[in-house]
Amino acid sequence: MKTITILVAAAISTFALTAAQAQQNPVKVGVIFPLSGGAGPQGQHVTQAIQAMAAIINESGGVMGRPIEILSRDDESTPAVGVSRANDLISAGVSVIIEGWNSPVTLATQPVINRAGILDITAVSKADPILSGEGNPLAIRLNSSNSQDGAVIANYLAKTAKAKRIAFLTQNDAYGNGAQASIEAELKKLGYEYEKVAEEKFPFAQADFRVALTNVKAANPDVTVAINANEGLGLPALIRQAKQSRLQGPFVAAVGTVAPSVVSVAGDAANGLISADIYFPDVEPFASFDANKKFVAKTQEMFKYTPDKFMALGATSLQVWAMAVNELKTLDKEPVAKRIRGGSFKGTVFGDVTFQANGQLQSKHLPFTVEGQKIVMLPASN
Amino acid sequence: MNSAFRPVLIAVLALAGFFVPTLLGGSGAVYSACVLIAIFAVMSYGLDTVVSDLGEVSLAHTVFFAVGAYTTALLSTGPGFGPIATLLGALVVVSLIAAALGYITLGLREFAFSLVTYAVAVVGANLAQNWSFLGGSDGLRGIPAFNLSLGPLAFSAKNDQELWPIAYILLLIAIYVVYCFRRSRLGQAAMMSHLNPRLATMSGIDLQRTRLQVFLFSAPVTASAGWLYAYQRAYVSADVLETYFLILMLTAVVLVGRRVLLGPLIGVALIQVQEKFLSFGGYTDKIILGSVLVITLAFLPKGLLGLFQPLTGLFARRPSPVSETRL
Repeated sequence: MKTITILVAAAISTFALTAAQAQQNPVKVGVIFPLSGGAGPQGQHVTQAIQAMAAIINESGGVMGRPIEILSRDDESTPAVGVSRANDLISAGVSVIIEGWNSPVTLATQPVINRAGILDITAVSKADPILSGEGNPLAIRLNSSNSQDGAVIANYLAKTAKAKRIAFLTQNDAYGNGAQASIEAELKKLGYEYEKVAEEKFPFAQADFRVALTNVKAANPDVTVAINANEGLGLPALIRQAKQSRLQGPFVAAVGTVAPSVVSVAGDAANGLISADIYFPDVEPFASFDANKKFVAKTQEMFKYTPDKFMALGATSLQVWAMAVNELKTLDKEPVAKRIRGGSFKGTVFGDVTFQANGQLQSKHLPFTVEGQKIVMLPASN
Repeated sequence: MNSAFRPVLIAVLALAGFFVPTLLGGSGAVYSACVLIAIFAVMSYGLDTVVSDLGEVSLAHTVFFAVGAYTTALLSTGPGFGPIATLLGALVVVSLIAAALGYITLGLREFAFSLVTYAVAVVGANLAQNWSFLGGSDGLRGIPAFNLSLGPLAFSAKNDQELWPIAYILLLIAIYVVYCFRRSRLGQAAMMSHLNPRLATMSGIDLQRTRLQVFLFSAPVTASAGWLYAYQRAYVSADVLETYFLILMLTAVVLVGRRVLLGPLIGVALIQVQEKFLSFGGYTDKIILGSVLVITLAFLPKGLLGLFQPLTGLFARRPSPVSETRL
């Protein structure tokens, strides 16, 4: 009898232990951003933001009762490396991959992740083809698209600056060329007449723009539009060199490229810079959102850093995915993707959000300028 | 070794090589690494014949690799051609480009040859980046999965594990083709024109014709790697012309030792294994790759095999007194 009691007790203990282990078996979330190179610091910050959001979610019960484990990889801002890292995460058994700082890297990794049957959420990359459905028919993106951004800049050029002579300094890749094309398309849509007096293109990694700026200055533009996603190195350098070259007229940076770190690195040269963005941690309405307050506090607690827009996008990617998974009680790609695409979510870092049917998060742009190295909101132009 | 057993041994080794990913655990990461090693090794074998046999450093082989990838992307996404048609298309297009480049560089040697081929690589990169026909900066998307149908036989590869047989067969073909090249009259002529051009000319070898022929042989080998790379990635953009691929090829060719049949394969494998499984991060990996190239060129002219050369003397057969008498 004693033996039977021991055996039953052992069986119950084993069952309980196994059940507890299953409960604790983490859900793996893959994260691919540049962690080295020009965009390395920003990629590291986005990864930290996702880790902060994972900590918040885990504290409130995780996903389907299981904790989230973040597996982070460095894409080195190189498509071939990004593909390799995606394969690595697929092999590690992740349930979702949050990726995308550089559009060419996202375009390269999309088909690989899609073929593996894993949900792919693009946090930052902006190129319009990302949502074309060719690489991933169930694509989801949180950052605003080039077309949305183009309308904001075109509005500023035509209605606020009333610029007739416009110069472009454009990163020569899928993101940069797409962004410039969108601005020009929106200006055309407005029926606005202008002259493109200069167009200088440069690779993502470039940090010396003096020759390009000399050409732009010689063209005597009313406004210069800078499209540079290299927030770690290229954009601060471009802002400083533009100030040194005493470029005439307002200097407009593409939407969403002016992170606080850019202003900090560019220093006084950033004063007068004009741009727009979709998130500011301490500006209304974001400052009042509970989820945003929690996210900002957690990031400051864990990493001693106040999150910027890119970090908020990374964190919200994970938050929205976790909400969909907890609601549907499944980690499967298709139902989760369909819930997010065209769906709405309440109480995110960005407040109540809605995704378009093509997977694009709807966002509101807020124009701003830089004064005394601080971001100052401008009245929105219509 | 008994010459009768040699083909059997090679066949057994070739067959065993197919099971390497399985023996290494068979995970997705292992298959992914093995497919990339096979593709990049094939890419390097093309350059190997120019560097090791012809004695020239071509910096345009990334263009041949890109031509293979872009032709595949254009033919598969446009007219919807299958893998065999895209391979043939890639080989035809790259042969035309290699013929043109070979003709231009006929009279150039060493530094001038390398400089011209580098200029071609720069032009190629800018064309790919800006020409809308090649997708411009967006690249070419929507390349279908590798799907081969030959009558009742159908083969489809949607991931690296399924693509491995194709990658492995392509690797074996490349190794065999280079092996045959080195035993061929063209291979011998290339070596002679490399080591002693005057003797080669006196022996009736047309140096310029030999150089052109080697170039025409080499380019399709590298392009075939680009062909499979397009299917593996399902997306082709100008990044295939980045210097990373050039440094990878050059390092793989010289690392183990020049004119070593399995040299490029072992070289690529060592580099890829370090980058994938023993990575120290993007910056450090690139420093390692560059340093390996510098160290090999500066201190190991015979590659890693040169390190073991002193040991080979210990195992070399001493000539017998009988043979000495015969001599």
